[in-house]
Amino acid sequence: MSKVNIEKKILSGNDRVAIENRQRFSDAGLLVFNIISSPGSGKTTLLEATLDRLAGETRILVIEGDVSTERDMDRVRAHGADGIQINTGGGCHLSAKMIRDVLGELALEAADIVFIENVGNLICPSTYDLGEDIRMVLLSTAEGDDKPMKYPSIFHEAELAIITKIDLLPYLEFDVEKVGTEIGVLNPECEVLKLSALKGEGMDVWIEWIGKRLEMKRAARPVAGE
Amino acid sequence: MHELSICQSMLGIVEKTMAEHPNATLERIFLDIGRGSTVESTLLSEAFEVITSGGPYEGVELVINDIPIAGRCRSCERDFTYEEFALGCPSCGSTDIEIHSGLELDIKHLEINED
Repeated sequence: MSKVNIEKKILSGNDRVAIENRQRFSDAGLLVFNIISSPGSGKTTLLEATLDRLAGETRILVIEGDVSTERDMDRVRAHGADGIQINTGGGCHLSAKMIRDVLGELALEAADIVFIENVGNLICPSTYDLGEDIRMVLLSTAEGDDKPMKYPSIFHEAELAIITKIDLLPYLEFDVEKVGTEIGVLNPECEVLKLSALKGEGMDVWIEWIGKRLEMKRAARPVAGE
Repeated sequence: MHELSICQSMLGIVEKTMAEHPNATLERIFLDIGRGSTVESTLLSEAFEVITSGGPYEGVELVINDIPIAGRCRSCERDFTYEEFALGCPSCGSTDIEIHSGLELDIKHLEINED
């Protein structure tokens, strides 16, 4: 019996493609978000409201990931986004390769931001780098305030956590402060925002956050010809 | 349930490695799986059985080294390990902690028989 050393990350293949994707996004000057949450926590509704706010000033592409149907893509198209729907046919997450396979169909150079809406799932997508700049997680008030510790991986990985559906707070026992504390323990660098995409509360802060990150990304981009 | 897809990625690496040892038989695959990695060891073993059934790697043993979540408290400066993620330092309760390990998802080595 002999031993053959490997010492590799199991997902090193995915990570390699993610690096290629990140380079392509970066070459096109794009700011890319990977949005992760449970089904029904308001990813698409947040995108709709964000598209309405940024209409005319920021050009947005959306890559929608779902097990089946084009429903989410239809919704964001109705709010002015271009993009593409990926159907995973049962797969519980998007992978870097799935993103790479659709990049040729998107007008990357003509856009400022790409929102990748991952398959609704709080576990599996957290393991797969897609090549995004910002990995963010949504937690809706209706899901309950015990989720960060129950699904720690995504909160550990995310750079931004958004508590959604805060208009429902009067009807729920959801401790916003407790959620903030739990996220802080799992990931002290994670920023936490709270908003209601439907009623508009907190949307200004989110839109400002995007603007700030877009500026940072543009400042880091070498000017063509230099 | 992404263990099947993790398993496929792992087998991709195994196949590439075994191609460099064309006359060898694969006996064991050694993995490090962190408890905070989102991959469940039992499900991974089950996925491995399903995916290798009827193929050249049927019966190969998957040896999973379960890595606990380990970290250090910045307040009391003690090291600690968790069975699973918990809220703060187990000694002093401080929430100012850093996690060092427990997120691994690595293939370490293979055991092969070269005839």
